Amino acid sequence: MPVETRAFAIQGRSDAIVAASQARRFALRFGMATRRATELAIVVSELASNIVKHGIRGEIRLAHDPEVPPRGEILIEAHDVGPPIRDLQMAMIDGNDDQGPIDPALILRRGGIGTGLGAIARLADRLEYRKEEEGKVLTARFLLR
Amino acid sequence: MAQSEDPHVIVTSDRLQSVIEALSYASVDEFDSCLDLLQRSGEIKDEFSELETAFSIFVRELGEAKSELNRTLAQQESINRELEAKLETIEVQQAAIRELSTPIIEVWAGVLCLPVVGIVDSQRSAEMTETLLETIVAKQARMAIVDITGIDVMDTKTADHFIKMARAVRLLGAECIVSGINPGIAQTLTHIGVDLTGIRTLRSLRDALQLYLRETEQLVVHQHSQLARKLTAEA
Repeated sequence: MPVETRAFAIQGRSDAIVAASQARRFALRFGMATRRATELAIVVSELASNIVKHGIRGEIRLAHDPEVPPRGEILIEAHDVGPPIRDLQMAMIDGNDDQGPIDPALILRRGGIGTGLGAIARLADRLEYRKEEEGKVLTARFLLR
Repeated sequence: MAQSEDPHVIVTSDRLQSVIEALSYASVDEFDSCLDLLQRSGEIKDEFSELETAFSIFVRELGEAKSELNRTLAQQESINRELEAKLETIEVQQAAIRELSTPIIEVWAGVLCLPVVGIVDSQRSAEMTETLLETIVAKQARMAIVDITGIDVMDTKTADHFIKMARAVRLLGAECIVSGINPGIAQTLTHIGVDLTGIRTLRSLRDALQLYLRETEQLVVHQHSQLARKLTAEA
């Protein structure tokens, strides 16, 4: 069975909202449970929000791979051309960005609370990160059960 | 047609003049007038008239090509206009999507309602906090009802931030009611051990509004009785 894919260009907040809701439908179509599909949508939303905030411009790619045991998986790739994450371990800690804790006074203005990557790691089955020649890619995987 | 051996062709100046005139018409895209003129001067059949005929064929073809081009350009322009209109619509819709992600309704004077539907990520919860707190100050609201009936799932940290938003509302001197918490969110909140003291939670938006009405009613009754007492005391 061929791998089915979809892609969404992310330039602004509304693109993030559209990508998240489309991702939820995509996951439901391959038999993911409603609750899990909503969690997947949250992950897409977090990834897309990060592209808007730090990535300059980018794309969210969805793929359904039926070959992954036991029942296939949904793969989410967030590509962007922004600077790399300086310290992934640091950024994964809630309330931090890649340079350390975010000053609470800045949180409102920055429009973020520093828990995005943590949320992605908590909700997805797997999270991978790689630098590319131009930009970076975050990959989140959701197994179909 | 008399063919002479003479390599020269004698052409009267008015024929030459009319060809020049025809050419000038062609140069300003007046192909009909140009062809007219060539037709009229093409009555004499000689070698020059062959040139005139060739010229008129060329002009006709040029005219057709030109009008075809104009038609295509006009089509292109209307397509461009349509595209621009579509882009404009998309921009408007994007703005609407952004606005709809945090709609704040003033259901009564001083009572704000923030119905939350769809997918809430950390960024959106930060935006909601900002918008809600600003609106409370701007509208001098006494109460904010955050209705999350439409939310099934939240990340633990996002849920935590959500409750912090409710607490920040209290710091501004308004009351915050969270309504419509579903079992999934309730488990998330208790799982992470969120401190819910000082935050009123009600089953539905309807309960929240009823509570507000009951309380204001009591306030009005209280004020009335105070006024009545004052009046009797004065009498």
